Amino acid sequence: MFQQTLCSTVEFAFNQALALNIKGAGVLQVLEQKTLTVLLTELGFPLSFSIDGNKVLVTSLTERSDCTINTSIKTLRELKKEQQITELIKQEKLDVQGDIKVAQQFANIAQSLEIDWQSELAQHIGDIPTYKLSQLGKSWAKKINFATQQIQADASEWLVHEKRLVVTASQLGSFSEQVTEITKQTNTVAERIQRLAEKITLLT
Amino acid sequence: MAAQQDNHQENSSSSASDNTTHFGYQTVDKNDKESKVASVFHSVAAQYDVMNDLMSFGIHRLWKRFTIDASGVRPGNKVLDLAGGTGDLTAKFSQLVGREGKVILADINSSMLNVGRDKLRDKGLVQNIEYVQANAQYLPFEDNTFDIVTIAFGLRNVTDKDMALRSIYRVLKPGGRLLVLEFSKPEHELISKAYDFYSFNILPKMGELVAKDGDSYQYLAESIRMHPDQETLKEMMDSAGFEQTSFKNLTGGVVALHKGYKF
Repeated sequence: MFQQTLCSTVEFAFNQALALNIKGAGVLQVLEQKTLTVLLTELGFPLSFSIDGNKVLVTSLTERSDCTINTSIKTLRELKKEQQITELIKQEKLDVQGDIKVAQQFANIAQSLEIDWQSELAQHIGDIPTYKLSQLGKSWAKKINFATQQIQADASEWLVHEKRLVVTASQLGSFSEQVTEITKQTNTVAERIQRLAEKITLLT
Repeated sequence: MAAQQDNHQENSSSSASDNTTHFGYQTVDKNDKESKVASVFHSVAAQYDVMNDLMSFGIHRLWKRFTIDASGVRPGNKVLDLAGGTGDLTAKFSQLVGREGKVILADINSSMLNVGRDKLRDKGLVQNIEYVQANAQYLPFEDNTFDIVTIAFGLRNVTDKDMALRSIYRVLKPGGRLLVLEFSKPEHELISKAYDFYSFNILPKMGELVAKDGDSYQYLAESIRMHPDQETLKEMMDSAGFEQTSFKNLTGGVVALHKGYKF
């Protein structure tokens, strides 16, 4: 019953996100009674998202789909760029049946979800603890960001200069330029050899 | 448990000759079973949902989702949720059939029906749901009315199951299907033993503690053991006229979903 557990979890997550959405659950009105079915190759069963009022229902029913998308999780990530759709269909990584507008409207709603976490948290634990927590979160985020940058810098220093395991971008650029120059020179030499060979052929 | 198989056989013939039937492990007059079952459900109606979650650790929601997924319901369909109780299936069906469709929540027990009606109205589900107090053996609907009939955890409480199956067959449209979600026989001995221990030792105590009614939950455990096993129920559906009947065990056979079509 993994299928039903997944449907139930996704449905709960979607409806919670909609309930907390700043713009409200009214964003679903455009899709009233519409169903989008997603068939992911990794899952092996369909996930159908149906809109009823201000709720999203997630089932494995395929009987009532307005648009069916057959793809993989990897391709789903690439779908963020709209211009990719045609290319992905050509490459047979994506198959769309039915009204593509339904899929686009679902994607727009998912992307437009905006949740004011601080207000929501404040309702449960109060304003001051929320403020303190958000400050703490920001300070940790800064520290983590700094630590990440520092680790990256130290690691590159160690790899490039101390152990000489990798080269810098400028060194790589310079090497590429040299390769291009040598390629040009060898081409010139090859042309000269070609011409000389032709002359020799004429003389003999 | 050896008696369980005998009881399955007894059940399939519905004790037609001696006018008796079972109520849990007791043998009672057919005319008395209905009132005895009614008193059980009048008693547990208010705590029914809480107890379902507690007893099944919430898994009953997944079993019901499985039933919905297997139903093939479409917008515009007419669905009968028989012995629908507190309306879990009705709620989902109501959203899936849309405005053009209709769901009838039917139950023989007025207390269960009232709890179901209040719950669904509180959820704002009013547009396409009707409530009917009905006995599964004598369904008060015209022939060929419904696209789908479901009966979840209700068939084992029906006095004459064969008669109920024939009645359901009558009200289904050609092409329509019946889905029976019901407790059944665990597939493995180990699960069966653990399940027996849980049903007869823990479940009645849980009922006593939460619903203040241990006897009703003792009846629940007994009635599950007296219910026909997977193959017997499938045969009963075949005998009632259903075609392409099949079943799928859920949670190791603790519950089974039977499906049959009317053509």
